[in-house]
Amino acid sequence: MEVTAPMPARTPLDDASLPCGTDVDLLLEQAAQGRGADWDAHQQLCVHCQAALGEFTALWGPVAELAAAPVSAPPGLVAAVMSQVRHLVHDTWYTLESTGIGAVRIAARIVAALARDSARMIPGVRVALGRSTHGEVPTLAEKATFGHQYPHAAVGVLGRTAVVDLAVAIGYGDPAHQVAREIQRHVTATLRDQVGLRDVTVNVTIDDVVDSDDGR
Amino acid sequence: MKAAAQAATPVVEDAYLVARAREGYLDAYELLVERHSAMAYRVALRLTGNHHDAQDVAQEALIAAWESLDRFQGGSSFSTWLYQIVTRRALNKITRGRDDRSLDLLPDRADPAMEPADKAERNLTVDAVTDALLALPFPQRTVIVLHHFERLSYAEIASVTGATEPAVRSHLFRARRALAKTLEEWK
Repeated sequence: MEVTAPMPARTPLDDASLPCGTDVDLLLEQAAQGRGADWDAHQQLCVHCQAALGEFTALWGPVAELAAAPVSAPPGLVAAVMSQVRHLVHDTWYTLESTGIGAVRIAARIVAALARDSARMIPGVRVALGRSTHGEVPTLAEKATFGHQYPHAAVGVLGRTAVVDLAVAIGYGDPAHQVAREIQRHVTATLRDQVGLRDVTVNVTIDDVVDSDDGR
Repeated sequence: MKAAAQAATPVVEDAYLVARAREGYLDAYELLVERHSAMAYRVALRLTGNHHDAQDVAQEALIAAWESLDRFQGGSSFSTWLYQIVTRRALNKITRGRDDRSLDLLPDRADPAMEPADKAERNLTVDAVTDALLALPFPQRTVIVLHHFERLSYAEIASVTGATEPAVRSHLFRARRALAKTLEEWK
Protein backbone atom coordinates (compact mmCIF):
# COMPACT_ATOMS: atom_id res chain seq x y z
CA MET A 1 0.00 0.00 0.00
CA GLU A 2 1.40 3.35 -0.96
CA VAL A 3 1.83 5.77 1.90
CA THR A 4 1.77 9.44 1.05
CA ALA A 5 2.60 12.38 3.24
CA PRO A 6 -0.43 14.35 4.38
CA MET A 7 -1.10 17.48 2.37
CA PRO A 8 -0.38 20.61 4.40
CA ALA A 9 -3.53 22.51 5.24
CA ARG A 10 -4.15 25.56 3.08
CA THR A 11 -4.12 28.88 4.85
CA PRO A 12 -5.39 32.30 3.81
CA LEU A 13 -1.80 33.23 2.91
CA ASP A 14 -1.87 30.68 0.08
CA ASP A 15 -4.47 32.69 -1.83
CA ALA A 16 -4.82 36.22 -3.12
CA SER A 17 -8.35 36.56 -1.77
CA LEU A 18 -10.73 34.86 0.63
CA PRO A 19 -13.85 32.98 -0.55
CA CYS A 20 -15.80 36.17 0.18
CA GLY A 21 -13.59 38.06 -2.28
CA THR A 22 -11.67 40.13 0.28
CA ASP A 23 -8.02 40.83 -0.60
CA VAL A 24 -5.77 38.86 1.77
CA ASP A 25 -3.03 41.50 1.66
CA LEU A 26 -5.44 44.16 2.88
CA LEU A 27 -6.44 41.98 5.83
CA LEU A 28 -2.79 41.29 6.64
CA GLU A 29 -2.09 45.02 6.51
CA GLN A 30 -5.00 45.65 8.85
CA ALA A 31 -3.73 43.07 11.35
CA ALA A 32 -0.12 44.27 11.10
CA GLN A 33 -1.26 47.80 11.89
CA GLY A 34 -2.88 46.56 15.09
CA ARG A 35 -6.43 46.94 13.81
CA GLY A 36 -7.31 43.25 13.59
CA ALA A 37 -10.26 43.69 15.93
CA ASP A 38 -11.60 46.80 14.19
CA TRP A 39 -14.09 45.07 11.93
CA ASP A 40 -15.84 47.02 9.19
CA ALA A 41 -19.46 46.31 8.20
CA HIS A 42 -18.54 43.40 5.94
CA GLN A 43 -16.15 41.86 8.42
CA GLN A 44 -18.77 41.92 11.17
CA LEU A 45 -20.84 39.49 9.10
CA CYS A 46 -18.06 37.49 7.41
CA VAL A 47 -16.60 34.44 9.13
CA HIS A 48 -13.82 34.20 6.54
CA CYS A 49 -12.56 37.69 7.30
CA GLN A 50 -12.93 37.23 11.04
CA ALA A 51 -10.94 33.98 10.97
CA ALA A 52 -8.23 35.45 8.78
CA LEU A 53 -7.89 38.56 10.92
CA GLY A 54 -7.61 36.41 14.03
CA GLU A 55 -4.95 34.26 12.41
CA PHE A 56 -2.96 37.23 11.08
CA THR A 57 -3.13 39.10 14.39
CA ALA A 58 -1.69 36.09 16.19
CA LEU A 59 1.02 35.67 13.54
CA TRP A 60 2.04 39.32 13.71
CA GLY A 61 2.14 39.44 17.53
CA PRO A 62 5.83 38.51 17.84
CA VAL A 63 6.75 41.03 15.14
CA ALA A 64 4.96 43.78 17.02
CA GLU A 65 6.66 42.65 20.21
CA LEU A 66 10.10 42.87 18.62
CA ALA A 67 9.28 46.26 17.11
CA ALA A 68 8.28 47.57 20.53
CA ALA A 69 11.41 46.30 22.29
CA PRO A 70 13.61 49.24 23.31
CA VAL A 71 17.03 49.42 21.70
CA SER A 72 19.63 51.84 23.00
CA ALA A 73 22.71 53.07 21.23
CA PRO A 74 25.82 51.20 22.39
CA PRO A 75 27.87 53.04 25.00
CA GLY A 76 30.62 55.04 23.37
CA LEU A 77 28.98 55.38 19.97
CA VAL A 78 28.53 59.14 20.23
CA ALA A 79 32.07 59.61 21.49
CA ALA A 80 33.48 57.43 18.72
CA VAL A 81 31.60 59.37 16.04
CA MET A 82 32.65 62.74 17.38
CA SER A 83 36.24 61.64 17.73
CA GLN A 84 36.24 60.76 14.05
CA VAL A 85 34.50 63.98 13.08
CA ARG A 86 37.05 66.06 14.96
CA HIS A 87 39.79 64.11 13.31
CA LEU A 88 38.23 64.73 9.91
CA VAL A 89 37.95 68.45 10.45
CA HIS A 90 41.62 68.83 11.21
CA ASP A 91 43.18 65.94 9.44
CA THR A 92 41.34 64.52 6.46
CA TRP A 93 43.47 62.79 3.90
CA TYR A 94 43.04 60.37 1.09
CA THR A 95 44.97 57.81 -0.81
CA LEU A 96 45.54 59.02 -4.31
CA GLU A 97 46.15 57.30 -7.58
CA SER A 98 46.55 59.39 -10.70
CA THR A 99 45.38 57.68 -13.83
CA GLY A 100 45.23 58.81 -17.41
CA ILE A 101 41.59 59.79 -17.02
CA GLY A 102 41.69 61.45 -13.62
CA ALA A 103 42.44 60.87 -9.96
CA VAL A 104 41.13 58.19 -7.63
CA ARG A 105 40.84 59.15 -3.98
CA ILE A 106 39.85 56.83 -1.17
CA ALA A 107 39.27 58.37 2.25
CA ALA A 108 41.59 57.23 4.99
CA ARG A 109 38.49 56.32 6.98
CA ILE A 110 37.66 53.67 4.39
CA VAL A 111 41.18 52.31 4.55
CA ALA A 112 40.90 52.10 8.33
CA ALA A 113 37.53 50.33 8.14
CA LEU A 114 38.85 47.79 5.65
CA ALA A 115 41.90 47.17 7.82
CA ARG A 116 39.75 46.74 10.90
CA ASP A 117 37.36 44.31 9.20
CA SER A 118 40.31 42.43 7.74
CA ALA A 119 41.94 42.08 11.16
CA ARG A 120 38.72 40.72 12.63
CA MET A 121 38.92 37.78 10.25
CA ILE A 122 42.07 36.46 11.95
CA PRO A 123 41.49 33.62 14.45
CA GLY A 124 42.22 34.80 17.97
CA VAL A 125 41.21 38.41 17.36
CA ARG A 126 38.30 39.43 19.58
CA VAL A 127 38.22 43.16 18.95
CA ALA A 128 40.03 45.25 16.36
CA LEU A 129 39.99 49.02 16.10
CA GLY A 130 41.59 50.72 13.15
CA ARG A 131 42.90 54.17 12.47
CA SER A 132 45.04 55.66 9.76
CA THR A 133 47.78 58.10 10.42
CA HIS A 134 50.40 60.02 8.57
CA GLY A 135 51.85 61.89 11.50
CA GLU A 136 54.70 59.45 11.87
CA VAL A 137 55.73 59.39 8.24
CA PRO A 138 56.59 62.99 7.39
CA THR A 139 59.03 62.04 4.68
CA LEU A 140 56.42 60.47 2.48
CA ALA A 141 56.26 61.88 -0.99
CA GLU A 142 53.22 63.18 -2.86
CA LYS A 143 51.98 65.17 0.08
CA ALA A 144 49.67 67.96 -0.99
CA THR A 145 46.88 70.09 0.34
CA PHE A 146 43.44 70.56 -1.12
CA GLY A 147 40.61 72.85 -0.11
CA HIS A 148 37.89 71.24 1.97
CA GLN A 149 34.21 72.02 2.34
CA TYR A 150 34.56 72.88 6.00
CA PRO A 151 36.24 76.03 7.32
CA HIS A 152 39.82 75.82 8.48
CA ALA A 153 40.17 72.25 7.27
CA ALA A 154 42.55 70.85 4.71
CA VAL A 155 43.05 67.59 2.94
CA GLY A 156 46.46 66.00 2.87
CA VAL A 157 47.22 63.41 0.24
CA LEU A 158 49.59 60.55 0.81
CA GLY A 159 49.46 58.92 -2.55
CA ARG A 160 49.46 55.14 -2.48
CA THR A 161 51.14 54.85 0.87
CA ALA A 162 49.36 54.17 4.15
CA VAL A 163 50.19 53.62 7.76
CA VAL A 164 47.48 51.84 9.70
CA ASP A 165 47.39 51.46 13.46
CA LEU A 166 45.35 48.60 14.84
CA ALA A 167 44.48 48.16 18.50
CA VAL A 168 43.60 44.54 19.07
CA ALA A 169 42.24 42.45 21.89
CA ILE A 170 42.88 38.72 21.67
CA GLY A 171 41.56 35.73 23.59
CA TYR A 172 43.31 34.17 26.58
CA GLY A 173 45.77 31.56 25.42
CA ASP A 174 46.06 32.83 21.86
CA PRO A 175 49.69 33.32 20.79
CA ALA A 176 50.00 37.12 20.68
CA HIS A 177 53.04 37.36 18.46
CA GLN A 178 51.69 34.86 15.96
CA VAL A 179 48.29 36.60 15.84
CA ALA A 180 49.93 39.99 15.37
CA ARG A 181 52.08 38.77 12.47
CA GLU A 182 49.08 37.16 10.83
CA ILE A 183 47.13 40.40 11.17
CA GLN A 184 49.95 42.33 9.52
CA ARG A 185 50.11 39.88 6.62
CA HIS A 186 46.35 39.74 6.11
CA VAL A 187 45.68 43.46 6.42
CA THR A 188 48.58 44.34 4.15
CA ALA A 189 47.32 41.96 1.48
CA THR A 190 43.75 43.28 1.84
CA LEU A 191 44.78 46.92 1.42
CA ARG A 192 46.96 46.10 -1.55
CA ASP A 193 44.24 44.06 -3.23
CA GLN A 194 41.18 46.14 -2.42
CA VAL A 195 42.53 49.69 -2.33
CA GLY A 196 45.55 49.42 -4.59
CA LEU A 197 47.91 50.74 -1.95
CA ARG A 198 51.54 50.18 -2.79
CA ASP A 199 53.35 50.73 0.50
CA VAL A 200 51.46 49.61 3.57
CA THR A 201 52.68 49.73 7.15
CA VAL A 202 50.48 47.98 9.69
CA ASN A 203 51.24 48.70 13.34
CA VAL A 204 49.55 46.21 15.64
CA THR A 205 49.11 46.94 19.33
CA ILE A 206 47.67 44.12 21.37
CA ASP A 207 46.31 46.03 24.32
CA ASP A 208 43.82 43.66 25.88
CA VAL A 209 43.20 39.99 26.48
CA VAL A 210 39.65 38.81 26.97
CA ASP A 211 37.83 35.61 27.86
CA SER A 212 36.85 33.47 24.92
CA ASP A 213 33.18 34.32 25.47
CA ASP A 214 33.83 38.06 25.47
CA GLY A 215 34.42 40.34 22.55
CA ARG A 216 32.38 39.80 19.46
CA MET B 1 29.96 75.76 29.61
CA LYS B 2 28.82 73.29 27.01
CA ALA B 3 26.41 71.63 29.41
CA ALA B 4 24.99 75.02 30.36
CA ALA B 5 24.53 75.94 26.73
CA GLN B 6 22.72 72.67 26.09
CA ALA B 7 20.48 73.17 29.11
CA ALA B 8 19.58 76.64 27.88
CA THR B 9 18.51 75.30 24.49
CA PRO B 10 16.94 71.94 25.23
CA VAL B 11 14.50 71.76 22.33
CA VAL B 12 16.19 73.32 19.33
CA GLU B 13 15.06 71.93 16.00
CA ASP B 14 17.24 69.61 13.98
CA ALA B 15 17.27 72.18 11.18
CA TYR B 16 18.86 74.73 13.49
CA LEU B 17 21.52 72.27 14.57
CA VAL B 18 22.19 71.28 10.96
CA ALA B 19 22.67 74.91 10.00
CA ARG B 20 25.08 75.51 12.87
CA ALA B 21 26.96 72.31 12.15
CA ARG B 22 27.41 73.40 8.54
CA GLU B 23 28.99 76.57 9.84
CA GLY B 24 31.55 74.48 11.67
CA TYR B 25 30.02 74.20 15.14
CA LEU B 26 30.92 70.69 16.18
CA ASP B 27 28.84 70.88 19.33
CA ALA B 28 25.76 71.26 17.16
CA TYR B 29 26.59 68.13 15.29
CA GLU B 30 27.30 66.35 18.56
CA LEU B 31 23.77 67.16 19.69
CA LEU B 32 22.42 65.74 16.43
CA VAL B 33 24.46 62.59 16.96
CA GLU B 34 23.21 62.26 20.53
CA ARG B 35 19.67 62.72 19.30
CA HIS B 36 19.80 60.23 16.43
CA SER B 37 22.48 57.66 17.28
CA ALA B 38 19.98 55.29 18.91
CA MET B 39 17.83 55.36 15.78
CA ALA B 40 20.83 54.77 13.53
CA TYR B 41 21.95 51.81 15.61
CA ARG B 42 18.42 50.40 15.98
CA VAL B 43 17.72 50.45 12.24
CA ALA B 44 21.15 49.03 11.45
CA LEU B 45 20.59 46.25 13.99
CA ARG B 46 17.25 45.29 12.43
CA LEU B 47 18.71 45.35 8.94
CA THR B 48 21.96 43.49 9.67
CA GLY B 49 20.82 41.31 12.59
CA ASN B 50 24.26 41.67 14.09
CA HIS B 51 25.34 43.92 16.94
CA HIS B 52 28.88 44.51 15.69
CA ASP B 53 27.85 45.21 12.11
CA ALA B 54 25.10 47.49 13.39
CA GLN B 55 27.57 49.43 15.49
CA ASP B 56 29.89 49.82 12.51
CA VAL B 57 27.04 50.87 10.22
CA ALA B 58 25.69 53.42 12.69
CA GLN B 59 29.12 54.92 13.26
CA GLU B 60 29.99 55.05 9.58
CA ALA B 61 26.58 56.55 8.71
CA LEU B 62 26.85 59.32 11.29
CA ILE B 63 30.34 60.18 10.07
CA ALA B 64 29.22 60.07 6.44
CA ALA B 65 26.36 62.41 7.31
CA TRP B 66 28.87 64.91 8.67
CA GLU B 67 31.04 64.61 5.60
CA SER B 68 28.14 65.30 3.25
CA LEU B 69 26.31 67.82 5.40
CA ASP B 70 26.90 70.53 2.81
CA ARG B 71 24.89 68.47 0.32
CA PHE B 72 21.89 68.10 2.64
CA GLN B 73 19.27 70.30 1.02
CA GLY B 74 16.77 70.37 3.85
CA GLY B 75 13.98 69.18 1.54
CA SER B 76 13.40 66.37 3.99
CA SER B 77 14.09 66.12 7.69
CA PHE B 78 17.55 65.30 8.99
CA SER B 79 16.23 62.01 10.37
CA THR B 80 14.79 60.99 6.99
CA TRP B 81 18.12 61.80 5.39
CA LEU B 82 19.94 59.79 8.06
CA TYR B 83 17.58 56.83 7.54
CA GLN B 84 18.66 56.93 3.90
CA ILE B 85 22.36 56.87 4.77
CA VAL B 86 21.94 54.10 7.35
CA THR B 87 20.00 51.83 5.00
CA ARG B 88 22.55 52.29 2.23
CA ARG B 89 25.44 51.62 4.59
CA ALA B 90 23.67 48.53 5.95
CA LEU B 91 23.20 47.23 2.42
CA ASN B 92 26.88 47.83 1.71
CA LYS B 93 27.83 45.99 4.88
CA ILE B 94 25.65 43.01 4.05
CA THR B 95 26.87 42.92 0.47
CA ARG B 96 30.48 43.03 1.58
CA GLY B 97 29.69 40.05 3.85
CA ARG B 98 31.23 38.62 6.92
CA ASP B 99 32.03 35.09 7.90
CA ASP B 100 31.12 35.46 11.52
CA ARG B 101 27.79 36.04 13.16
CA SER B 102 27.34 37.60 16.53
CA LEU B 103 25.50 35.61 19.15
CA ASP B 104 24.66 38.90 20.79
CA LEU B 105 21.83 39.79 18.46
CA LEU B 106 19.76 41.83 20.81
CA PRO B 107 21.35 42.71 24.11
CA ASP B 108 18.87 43.35 26.92
CA ARG B 109 15.96 42.33 24.77
CA ALA B 110 14.31 40.38 27.58
CA ASP B 111 13.01 41.98 30.75
CA PRO B 112 15.48 41.09 33.54
CA ALA B 113 12.54 40.72 35.91
CA MET B 114 11.04 37.90 33.85
CA GLU B 115 11.22 34.30 35.01
CA PRO B 116 14.08 32.42 33.28
CA ALA B 117 11.67 30.12 31.44
CA ASP B 118 9.60 33.05 30.19
CA LYS B 119 12.74 34.92 29.23
CA ALA B 120 14.05 31.93 27.28
CA GLU B 121 10.73 31.51 25.49
CA ARG B 122 10.58 35.19 24.63
CA ASN B 123 14.14 35.17 23.34
CA LEU B 124 13.29 32.20 21.14
CA THR B 125 10.32 34.12 19.73
CA VAL B 126 12.38 37.24 19.18
CA ASP B 127 15.14 35.22 17.53
CA ALA B 128 12.59 33.56 15.25
CA VAL B 129 11.22 36.92 14.14
CA THR B 130 14.74 38.28 13.70
CA ASP B 131 15.70 35.31 11.55
CA ALA B 132 12.49 35.61 9.52
CA LEU B 133 13.23 39.28 8.98
CA LEU B 134 16.77 38.55 7.86
CA ALA B 135 15.47 35.94 5.42
CA LEU B 136 13.63 38.65 3.49
CA PRO B 137 15.28 40.30 0.49
CA PHE B 138 16.91 43.55 1.60
CA PRO B 139 14.37 45.93 -0.03
CA GLN B 140 11.48 44.10 1.62
CA ARG B 141 13.30 44.00 4.96
CA THR B 142 13.91 47.72 4.68
CA VAL B 143 10.27 48.65 4.17
CA ILE B 144 9.16 46.38 7.00
CA VAL B 145 11.68 47.92 9.38
CA LEU B 146 10.94 51.48 8.35
CA HIS B 147 7.16 51.10 8.42
CA HIS B 148 6.41 48.62 11.18
CA PHE B 149 9.40 49.21 13.43
CA GLU B 150 10.15 52.90 12.86
CA ARG B 151 6.56 53.97 12.09
CA LEU B 152 7.51 55.90 8.96
CA SER B 153 4.72 56.75 6.54
CA TYR B 154 4.66 55.58 2.93
CA ALA B 155 5.73 59.08 1.86
CA GLU B 156 8.66 59.09 4.27
CA ILE B 157 9.76 55.62 3.16
CA ALA B 158 9.49 56.75 -0.44
CA SER B 159 11.77 59.65 0.41
CA VAL B 160 14.27 57.34 2.12
CA THR B 161 14.32 54.69 -0.58
CA GLY B 162 13.81 56.86 -3.64
CA ALA B 163 10.79 54.78 -4.66
CA THR B 164 7.26 55.97 -5.34
CA GLU B 165 4.58 55.62 -2.69
CA PRO B 166 2.68 52.95 -4.68
CA ALA B 167 5.94 51.03 -5.05
CA VAL B 168 6.54 51.24 -1.30
CA ARG B 169 3.03 49.94 -0.64
CA SER B 170 3.55 47.13 -3.11
CA HIS B 171 6.86 46.20 -1.48
CA LEU B 172 5.15 46.19 1.90
CA PHE B 173 2.39 43.88 0.72
CA ARG B 174 4.91 41.37 -0.58
CA ALA B 175 7.17 41.71 2.46
CA ARG B 176 4.35 41.23 4.96
CA ARG B 177 3.10 38.16 3.16
CA ALA B 178 6.59 36.65 2.96
CA LEU B 179 7.24 37.35 6.64
CA ALA B 180 3.86 35.96 7.68
CA LYS B 181 4.41 32.83 5.60
CA THR B 182 7.75 32.21 7.29
CA LEU B 183 6.32 32.75 10.75
CA GLU B 184 3.40 30.49 9.90
CA GLU B 185 5.77 27.67 8.93
CA TRP B 186 7.59 28.01 12.25
CA LYS B 187 4.43 27.94 14.34
